[in-house]
Amino acid sequence: MLQFVFRRLLQAVPILLAVAGLIFLLFSVIPGDFASTQVSDGRSVVDAEAIERMNRQFGLDQPLATRFAAYVGKLATLDLGTSFRTRQPVWHLIGERLWPTMQLAFASMMFAIVIGVPLGFLAALKPGGVVDTVSMVTAVSGLSLPKFWLGLMLMYLFALQLGWLPSFGYGDGALKNLILPSIALGVAPLALLARTTRAAVLEIMNADFVRTARAKGMSERRVVQWHLARNALVIVLTTVGLQFGSVIGQAVVIEKLFAWPGLGSLLVDSVSLRDIPVVQGCILVIVLFFLVVNMLVDVLAAIIDPRIRYS
Amino acid sequence: MLNKWFLTTALTLAAFTVQAQEQPRRGGTIRFTAPYATSFTSNDSHVSPQIQDEIYTYALHRSLYRWDAVNNKPEPELATSVTKSADGLTYTFKLRDDALFHNGRKMTADDIIWSYTRIMDGSKSYPGARHIRRIKGAVEVEKGQAKEIAGLKKIDDQTLEITLVEKADPGFFLYYGQTAIYPAKEAQAEGFFNKPIGLGPFKFVEHVPGSRMVLERWEKYFKAGKPYADKVVISPMGEAASRDIAFRNKEIDVSILGPTQYVAYKADANLSKGIFEVAEVFTRNMGMNPSFKPFADKRVRQAINHAIDAELIIKRLVRDKAYRATGWLPLSSPAYDKEMKPYAFDPEKAKKLLTEAGYPDGFEFEWTATPNESWGVPIVEAVIPMLAKVGVKVKIKPIEGSALGGTVQKGDFQAYIWSNTSGPDPLTILKCFHSATPQSACNYTSYKNPEVDKLIDEAGNTDDPAKRLDLLKKANAIVYDDAPVWFFNYNKAVMAYQPWLKGLQPNSTELALQQYDELWVDASSPAAK
Amino acid sequence: MKFRANLVIGGALFATVVVAGALAPFLAHTDPVMDANLMNAEVAPGGEFWFGTDAQGRDIYSRVLYGARISLTVGIVSQLINTVIGVCLGLSAAYWGGWWDDFVNGLTNLMLAIPSLIFALAIMAILTPGLTSLLIALGLTNWSYTCRLSRASALSLKGQGYVQAARVLGYGDIRIMLTQILPNILGPIIVIGTLGMGGAVLAEASLSFLGLGIRPPFPSWGSMLSDARDQITTAPWISIFPGLAIFMTVLGLNLLGDGLRDILDPQSRARTA
Repeated sequence: MLQFVFRRLLQAVPILLAVAGLIFLLFSVIPGDFASTQVSDGRSVVDAEAIERMNRQFGLDQPLATRFAAYVGKLATLDLGTSFRTRQPVWHLIGERLWPTMQLAFASMMFAIVIGVPLGFLAALKPGGVVDTVSMVTAVSGLSLPKFWLGLMLMYLFALQLGWLPSFGYGDGALKNLILPSIALGVAPLALLARTTRAAVLEIMNADFVRTARAKGMSERRVVQWHLARNALVIVLTTVGLQFGSVIGQAVVIEKLFAWPGLGSLLVDSVSLRDIPVVQGCILVIVLFFLVVNMLVDVLAAIIDPRIRYS
Repeated sequence: MLNKWFLTTALTLAAFTVQAQEQPRRGGTIRFTAPYATSFTSNDSHVSPQIQDEIYTYALHRSLYRWDAVNNKPEPELATSVTKSADGLTYTFKLRDDALFHNGRKMTADDIIWSYTRIMDGSKSYPGARHIRRIKGAVEVEKGQAKEIAGLKKIDDQTLEITLVEKADPGFFLYYGQTAIYPAKEAQAEGFFNKPIGLGPFKFVEHVPGSRMVLERWEKYFKAGKPYADKVVISPMGEAASRDIAFRNKEIDVSILGPTQYVAYKADANLSKGIFEVAEVFTRNMGMNPSFKPFADKRVRQAINHAIDAELIIKRLVRDKAYRATGWLPLSSPAYDKEMKPYAFDPEKAKKLLTEAGYPDGFEFEWTATPNESWGVPIVEAVIPMLAKVGVKVKIKPIEGSALGGTVQKGDFQAYIWSNTSGPDPLTILKCFHSATPQSACNYTSYKNPEVDKLIDEAGNTDDPAKRLDLLKKANAIVYDDAPVWFFNYNKAVMAYQPWLKGLQPNSTELALQQYDELWVDASSPAAK
Repeated sequence: MKFRANLVIGGALFATVVVAGALAPFLAHTDPVMDANLMNAEVAPGGEFWFGTDAQGRDIYSRVLYGARISLTVGIVSQLINTVIGVCLGLSAAYWGGWWDDFVNGLTNLMLAIPSLIFALAIMAILTPGLTSLLIALGLTNWSYTCRLSRASALSLKGQGYVQAARVLGYGDIRIMLTQILPNILGPIIVIGTLGMGGAVLAEASLSFLGLGIRPPFPSWGSMLSDARDQITTAPWISIFPGLAIFMTVLGLNLLGDGLRDILDPQSRARTA
């Protein structure tokens, strides 16, 4: 098992390196620079000399190759650089935002799992039945809504009309602040999980080994318990892992809408202000997060179904 | 004169009577919002040029001056008296001896000198440098040629002498939050910015980046009895739709409104009672690049001004959340000229001017615009059919909000639409139309007119305030006639506030910047406790 | 064979959108861009303006019709790009194997690891907002599933007798891939493409919300919806109709995808998640 984990960790390294290189190159050709974004409010005045000095200070006057070498050199010592905007280490800024983003990502996945998986399971027990039809139609509808629109509607309904929950912000990190953004973010993975679970359960129900088990005289319930659950679980787990990627991606929109202090809103702010070191740091950390989650998923899957480890 | 004096007195008295009825209440939490796009930069107010960060700075820090919103001029804040030398270049400040930092230490001249010197650290490019640069010897520090700013002289602990490079009222540039006074010794300590201290009415409690900053009352604030509130919570909320819902849900005490919400709030029986309007010092305009051939001709630029029905756009699209521009300097500017008339909406005349300029069939240009609701793509979309009627075709070139400044500075445009500050100091503002000012600074349309140069230079050299205003009015009128831009409107800033929030000030430099020591909440606030 | 409701409903919804977009010049009442008329600003839905008008006084009905063209372009073109990239990489990796296969695998893992919305956001910021940029941004960031799928299917087909036979007959590699392997894996790829089109339409709305979508004056549903979000309480129709259009289209594409899957890819696993 340890060897398996180790191998997975090793696989992550080249991906991270490739991501680092890719985003470095992408953002080296982005139009505009931090210094000149500073005047866009129409109120500040920065003259050319000041802009030049700022760019020199940030090393932007160096040739691309030199900058890349410096960037990689720093990365090797796990240094993500210094923010143009705040003049603070990027790690510090990311550290402040990591926990709220993880809270949001995990809460929305929990929401998706707790509702989506049983829903898909129920739907599969009687394909074509009422439960199946209703839940699948709802699932597809949930997949078809623009996220920010859904978020606004939730705010409107649960905060303004019903007054049950706060409409925005992080508060003191209380659960009530977490609910609306998690739902807005969790609806899409919920729909996908429900569909995946349903498909997985259906497929396995018809699979040979389940039929064999039935033929052997195992009771229906035991069949469900022993084979179905384990195999379906692996598929569902894998889906959860992959969905983390899109959840973190969509969090960019939801965090902005709900004024949630996570990595997503830091990323959007930093892209618009051309605070490139922070952008690079955020993307790297998000990718790392995704890889770690998926590694955990794989390990879990391997524990549940030992055959996986050798494939 | 007498009449005017009488009127002012009567108004002041009236204001006082209203105030007298309502005794400010102590306690409670002010739940403020910072309505611009991004989160707060950090806990270091010197680092950011953005209004967003100044919003918290006003609670935490003090600068040498403050903007007196009621009288629309800068006032000494950390000094009890200011004397100007005969040559008009040296100012002597008698500093307050009751201004205490949040650790209880008394502010001295050293703190001011240290703070200004820090801002001039050339390796850090602090945005406040553009203000301090007007003090003699500051540039030398910035370039690393000197360690100390020559124009800053400590006479004793509570007396400071500031020498400027040119005649100017230091109040107009030393009131910005970017020039806040830090405690010299403490600020150099490791970890100072984790829990910064200042001279402001509120002490730092916590900052959850991207979510909120919490501050609590500073008991030893130098203004007796102030501040009133126990706490201030400031949440950066750039998303207007979310802010709208939070405000209606009574989760926040103020919100800055855009045109569409302005109409909605005015139409609502309850919300309409809490609307605060101020003519801000921002001029919305379409800058035209003279290096694009048609725009080099003054007649073409005037034709553009005649061809657009700005009145209609202001009324229908901007929902009267603006005042028609009649020149560059806005309504609240001391050099605003009431006699100036807006360009008449006259497509016939526009057509004639275009024909004279050699464009009887019009031309096509590319118009750079951001998504901004009040001065971006939506406005351009409404203008397109109007210009089409005189044969001028428009291609929209959409760009991100934050990229506009850089694009314009580089001259990489045929036309752009923007909202530029046009106050509070008319001299500083009109210098942007001086030919010596580069496009990269603020002469964005590369404007050049020797006559205007002369008037601005004269205005800068005169000691007579009335004469200065007169000269600036003249320069403003010439700029208006030359039409380097399409003069669209002056912003009417609108703030919605909850009925329990009192003491808001009509700050024309930026309505979202409020002095928190004057704000208080009555017992009906959900956060009154 | 049972009645396939999802296929029929999904197909009908999608067909409606295609027809609306194609016939927009005939069905629309006004020009979606030039007929801004501030005298008609924010008229509620009714007689003259079926869906009402927006803040600039433009007919929302006409704009939604023309918006279909843009949204369909976004969906179809970006998915075509994704599909071509995914299929080319996946097929060739499976067929040639070796270092190329390793490289494609690595690339796919890389693409999977960067959330596609974030990648698209980065590309939009670099290329500056606009339709072409959007097509590129969405077209480059969502091919990993197609690639994995075509690789896996092609791998299983590679050893099949008829592919071996083609090789013996001296067919070139490319020819074998295109004529022997591709037709047999097309079904599942079409399914993924259909679902992906819906995703692209939604992504356009998200990017518009972040200020990095297609920008006016030409109407896209995403930008119409995003621009109207401040008016939800005052003039809800400005956002309802483009919102509904997005919902119906994406719903249609999702149902269609599901329906197609039942026909084209009967032994599908839960792999499209």
